[in-house]
Amino acid sequence: MFFVSTGLALKDPGDDLRLEGPFLVTSGGQSPGALQFTVIAKMVNIDYTFERLVKVGEVDISKFKTFVVVVGASGKGLGAAGIDIDVEINRVVELAKLAKANDLKIVICNLEGVSRRGVSSDRIVTALAPFASVYFIKTDANEDGFFTELSKEAGVPLATFDVTVGLKDVLAEFVEKPN
Amino acid sequence: MRKTVLVLAVVALLFTGMIATVTAPTVASSNGMVAAVDRYAAEAGAKILEMGGNAIDAAIAVSLALGVVEPYASGIGGEGYAVITMADGSKFAIDFRSTAPMLATYEALTEKGLRIGTITRTPMGICVPGVLAGIREAWLLGATLPFSVLAQPAIDLARNGFLIDQTFSQTTADNYELLLKNAFEFLNEGFVWETGTLYKNPELADTLERIVEEGIDTFYFGSLADEIEEFMIETDGFMRKSDLEIYNAIIREPLHGTYRGYDLFVPHPPVSGPQLLAVLNTLENYNLPAMSWDDPLAIHLIQQALILGDIDRRTYISDPDFHDLPYEGFMSKDYAKTRFMVINPGRVFDQPYASYLGNAYPFQEGATYEEALLAAFAEVASNASDIDESPSTTHFSIVDKDGNAVAWTQTLSSFFGTTTYFKGFFFNNEMGNYASSYRPGDVINLTGGMRPRTTICPTVIMKDGEVRWVVGTPGGARIMSMMVNLVVELIDFNLPVDKAIRLPKFTGMWNDTTLRIEAGYPETTLNFLEKVLGHKLNIYNTYPDLYFGGPNIIAVEENGMMIGAGSIRRGGFASAPEF
Repeated sequence: MFFVSTGLALKDPGDDLRLEGPFLVTSGGQSPGALQFTVIAKMVNIDYTFERLVKVGEVDISKFKTFVVVVGASGKGLGAAGIDIDVEINRVVELAKLAKANDLKIVICNLEGVSRRGVSSDRIVTALAPFASVYFIKTDANEDGFFTELSKEAGVPLATFDVTVGLKDVLAEFVEKPN
Repeated sequence: MRKTVLVLAVVALLFTGMIATVTAPTVASSNGMVAAVDRYAAEAGAKILEMGGNAIDAAIAVSLALGVVEPYASGIGGEGYAVITMADGSKFAIDFRSTAPMLATYEALTEKGLRIGTITRTPMGICVPGVLAGIREAWLLGATLPFSVLAQPAIDLARNGFLIDQTFSQTTADNYELLLKNAFEFLNEGFVWETGTLYKNPELADTLERIVEEGIDTFYFGSLADEIEEFMIETDGFMRKSDLEIYNAIIREPLHGTYRGYDLFVPHPPVSGPQLLAVLNTLENYNLPAMSWDDPLAIHLIQQALILGDIDRRTYISDPDFHDLPYEGFMSKDYAKTRFMVINPGRVFDQPYASYLGNAYPFQEGATYEEALLAAFAEVASNASDIDESPSTTHFSIVDKDGNAVAWTQTLSSFFGTTTYFKGFFFNNEMGNYASSYRPGDVINLTGGMRPRTTICPTVIMKDGEVRWVVGTPGGARIMSMMVNLVVELIDFNLPVDKAIRLPKFTGMWNDTTLRIEAGYPETTLNFLEKVLGHKLNIYNTYPDLYFGGPNIIAVEENGMMIGAGSIRRGGFASAPEF
């Protein structure tokens, strides 16, 4: 089961926001959430490319219609990648800018719930918020209304789901089926 | 009908009462005690004590239960070491460390274009598991209950499930990419197991039931061994049934040393008992009892002694069946005096650590430190390899009401071992503890049948023949630091066990020129360490941090009261029978 709440400026997200493939998927914080996103993407037959550490200049963004950042700051993941949180935020923000300039829809996703609601994860989300087209958020990550507020401020939809696999239904709802 | 229901209710109440236990992070009881990293496992042991089992019975139950509730840290695909002291005075050390399969050679790896470093997360990284052989030897040594009874709590946990805690969830998340690739069946339909989820492992329940029905020998000689061989051939692993058939857990008397009048019973090589004794012997030359846990001078002396012990370990510890090394010299009081002389109380080591390697050979023959130092030092080559040991592993401690004690540490080496998943359990990756490539004279070169070196160190500490503490910890290369921190806190600083386990910790390692130190020390202490003594501080700002280890300890007071303390760094619990 999942729920969609509507940002103030958007009357009918179902009509106005359809996500098209191909998707470019990256991690925001190097937790395993992004890899889990790809498992679900496979389940719902989304055409995606997953690049954990992709940077502007390393990707032809015009090939994609949707840009997904799965947010979750992991000290271990960042350490393994040899980067710190500031470098990571800069990487995803620059990508988001490029995606927006190329008219991609931008999805901010929290797939791991409250365990990825620390200071670093929230910094990533806040930095990306100006670019968000939609939020896909595991319910327990939004118990304090953090994502609801961001969604309302930006007037973009927020879809929440209770268990990880619930994202499958969210994607099925938002992703445009190929003709 | 009504009478039947009533009778059933009474029986149920009696049964519930029979297996009642008290479980919490810290528990006091005189009825026996189990301290383990997981509440379900601790309770499994306490229930066995409640049923009248002794510490060995409980240890077998806890060992198997831990393999269910922490499948990433230990299990029947892993290995370990136990030190047992019985109330009648007998003492046993059970070495159930893994051994290298005979087909695993540097030549075989070279032919495949591989090195040890590249196979540790593949079936080729598996060494011969020893946990079940260790359990068999423990059972034969002194168990009182049938194996089927001791295995039942683990079978029930696997069959009926349990709620996942944060450590389980986090560890799965940390290893998700490998698990997705190598052990999809373990995951929650392809996803990380989340905290609070009910986790069942019916496949492992079936495997354990089969081992109960067919006997432990099925794993080493029987049909299960056949299936393991078939699986190894299919997945290109080195282990064969012939390796399982020749595997033996080794029973010895534990090594004995002393520290300020206490008796320590520790493991033999290739486990790190001699290193613990060597470091403590060095520290015995200082008046640490006059200092406190946050005294920068105490931290400095302990850390420098740890570094010396770690440098020496790499040369003097290996499998004694394959290398004749002077580990008894290494753990002698006179050798420790020479190490004491190396430490500058007012400044950190200023030379490359390798240059501080000591010469333990003269002390193996009983030389005094005066004799040894007056004689010309023989040149000692450092036969040492760089192994980055994993923070995985688990330790539990048990004392029963009669005073029998078990210190038991078991591991898969890395979390999830090789990530090779078979019949509900993971196989270890102990192969990573051999030298990555052949070096002439190296004491940890890969050799078929040899046990790799390890830092684990389950220990029983006694005073006047009575158990005072049962101690041990996971933590990879930080195990010795945690062990020495704890022993000094308990003996020198006379701290209660729950306080000792909570105090912040620090490390001293041969390959680390920083002082890694957990948050919680006073600013003055940190400033003094840095500015006066010259330490490069590496402060871990998250407290508690599992990096430093996850000890589970039992203290026995002079009046017989047992205090069990579970690790605060890994969510550990103590559990006691209520009787």
